[in-house]
Amino acid sequence: MLPLGGVRVADFSWVWAGPYSTMLLATLGAEVIKVEGHKRTDLTRHSVVWALPDPAPTAVLPNQGMSFNSVNMSKKSVTLDLSKPEGVRLAKRIALMSDVVADNLRPGAMVRLGLGYEKLRKERPDIIVLSSSSRGQKGPQWDYGGYATIHHSIGGGAYITGYPDDAPSHSGGDVDLINGTGMAFAVLAALYHRAQTGEGQFIDYSQCEGVSSLNGDVLLGYEMTSQVPERMGNAHRVYAPHNVYRCWGVDRWLALEIHSNEEFSILAKVIGRPELAQDPRFATMAARKRNEAGLDKIIGEWIRLRDRDWMVNEFCKAGLAAAPSRDAYDLYADPHLRARSAFVTINHPEIGQLELVGMPWKMSDCAAVLNRAPLLGEHNDYVLRELLGLSRKEITELRKKEIIK
Amino acid sequence: MKGGALNGIKVVELATMVSGPYCAKLLADLGADIIKIEPPEGDPARQCGPFPQSKPHPERSALFLYNNTSKRGITLNLDMPAGRRAFKDLIKWADILIDNYPPQRLESLGLPWDTMKRMNPGLVYTSITPYGRTGPRADVKGDELTIIHAAGLGNLMPVRSFDVSRAPVKMGGYAIGYHGGLTAAFATLGAIMGRLKTGRGQLIDISLQEVILALMRVNVTGTRYHRTRWCRVPDRPPAMGRMKASDGYIVVGVIEDHHWRAFRELMGNPDWAAGPQWESLYYRTHHLMEIVPQLDEWMLGQKKEDIHHKGAKKGIPMGPINSAKEIMENEQYAARGYFVEVEHPEAGKYKYAGWPYQMTASPPCACRPAPLLGQHNQEVICDILGYSPAAFSRLQRSGAIGTQTPKGGK
Repeated sequence: MLPLGGVRVADFSWVWAGPYSTMLLATLGAEVIKVEGHKRTDLTRHSVVWALPDPAPTAVLPNQGMSFNSVNMSKKSVTLDLSKPEGVRLAKRIALMSDVVADNLRPGAMVRLGLGYEKLRKERPDIIVLSSSSRGQKGPQWDYGGYATIHHSIGGGAYITGYPDDAPSHSGGDVDLINGTGMAFAVLAALYHRAQTGEGQFIDYSQCEGVSSLNGDVLLGYEMTSQVPERMGNAHRVYAPHNVYRCWGVDRWLALEIHSNEEFSILAKVIGRPELAQDPRFATMAARKRNEAGLDKIIGEWIRLRDRDWMVNEFCKAGLAAAPSRDAYDLYADPHLRARSAFVTINHPEIGQLELVGMPWKMSDCAAVLNRAPLLGEHNDYVLRELLGLSRKEITELRKKEIIK
Repeated sequence: MKGGALNGIKVVELATMVSGPYCAKLLADLGADIIKIEPPEGDPARQCGPFPQSKPHPERSALFLYNNTSKRGITLNLDMPAGRRAFKDLIKWADILIDNYPPQRLESLGLPWDTMKRMNPGLVYTSITPYGRTGPRADVKGDELTIIHAAGLGNLMPVRSFDVSRAPVKMGGYAIGYHGGLTAAFATLGAIMGRLKTGRGQLIDISLQEVILALMRVNVTGTRYHRTRWCRVPDRPPAMGRMKASDGYIVVGVIEDHHWRAFRELMGNPDWAAGPQWESLYYRTHHLMEIVPQLDEWMLGQKKEDIHHKGAKKGIPMGPINSAKEIMENEQYAARGYFVEVEHPEAGKYKYAGWPYQMTASPPCACRPAPLLGQHNQEVICDILGYSPAAFSRLQRSGAIGTQTPKGGK
């Protein structure tokens, strides 16, 4: 039995963060109905997250964008023209048949459509509504927009990422997906609360704050010390060595972190310099931290001449924490991820076989539900006929009026 | 803890540093009852800081205080039989066990998953490890630096590097721990929802590498199927993104054509940006580098917060790169009541980061400060496990709850 079997979600979200939050619910068994305007579809359906150079960015057909297919798995798709009252009426009926309504439109947009929490709860008091936005639904900046890069910057993640002598570095889509995880967590908590009390509620999620909450110790540290935490590259306040070193080859790098004297003496042996463990410059953590630059030079010279994956294997076998700085090709080729079935293979009717990333947990008694993302409007008939009970004639009429596709 | 969404859920946390403790904190701040078990010497996060006046003190570490709000804390030496007995009693009491030790730790104590499941068939056991409990790398060590690079996220940063001879870098802070904790909290609650139907618990195996890989899903598939290489050096000229203002950095997200028109207006419609060709995303993508010197020069004349407001009011997605200080002073955060005051008996009263979700019916709350080391030993062992005062004294004398004298009251 799936954890969220019997839970229905009306999903008005688009792009990355919102869709991933409802995809997370779908992988636990919720029935997620993605509602798109058929003239204003989710823009990720066409996009590759970055425009292709040739011949034009629109080269990707509506169902074939890889970002769409990555964050909308296991959902159903219905298309409605939400600029027409009849389309909105149908959307409202879908919402009221659902346990959860999710959106990440500009604050106020759902209310203007007549699909806001206050309206919906009048007809369904136990409904749970998740509205996520850049800065939250209230406050002086409620209507400011943003993307993942901007949330990472405002929320404090970017400032502390990068080299101390260079610019700060914002991150990208991963920020949307971790915010999607935070939203889905809040929805689960609300579903649990409803199961205990019968009460629904409204969840107002700020994606900038989502980043700040993942840096809570940094903010509290500033409160305590009045010192602004700065960028540290790959370094750590206490541990050394703690760095990423260049390996043989082009743009190949190895990450290595040593947390104790025992580990350091193992490292010294592996690189053929056992005497370093007794060297007063490096014998204790504090000494290593003081002489980190010199130590990095010694380690770096050894690593520079050798093969990355061979060294990672040697270090790990010896009991150290080491890893290659992997790119996407490395990840797909990683035998460990393969052995754990971290990727799933799906068949896409327009593209063919695709190997996508699975979910980041393994539950002993229930596998995550991972089906391909829906084609645009694929479930129009299911939603309108089976859920809303419209007749074939009514649906034909709606098609003629272009309310549905 | 009236009104907390997770009231009544009982959790035992056997975890240190960030991932397990943050997972439990997320549940605790929503009303779950968390018993955090520390070894007698304490969670190493107590040593990490930062500390008030930068003076190390095990009850004043920001990393520990933030990640352990709303919990009760006890100390147990699991290597002693009496400590293990108390731990087993807690396992029988709990709905959830959150553990971020290597699986061998509990196995060596005679508590593999099968045994715990027999003791408590309703137990949800969330096990957080660097690479997961199975597979060729199951026993390999990993932490913040190695996991972020192992999982592909480190390879993307610093974003827009112009110097390829410099190594990719990790995300600042404890990104792996926090991302892992949040993901684990989601999966754990998922299993609790399942238990409402089946009455049965289960084992949840969380691999921190896969937590980060999951967040990379779009980049990874984009590389494979659209041939857009993602790394710290973009494979085609960057458009907008990070720009330098007179007093810091700002990130600009001019993507759609209407964003560009508004941005051009914000710059005062300069001649070098005139012309309808610039209004096409396709054109901008491939020609923007030609006017980057002018764009950069213009931004260097702006103040980041001032131009942020002006731009955002025109509908341009943009935001300053904020330091911790700037976040604590942020008017939007203040207006939403994001920060909450927590008073801790040893560390004092400070503003803590709150939660990105505001919930009307069951708001989260930091209802108690992080526990002092061993603060709730007697309360938990007597009131929850039902030990008599004499049995508690025996446990104390045996050394199984450590030798420290608990400071402060209940």
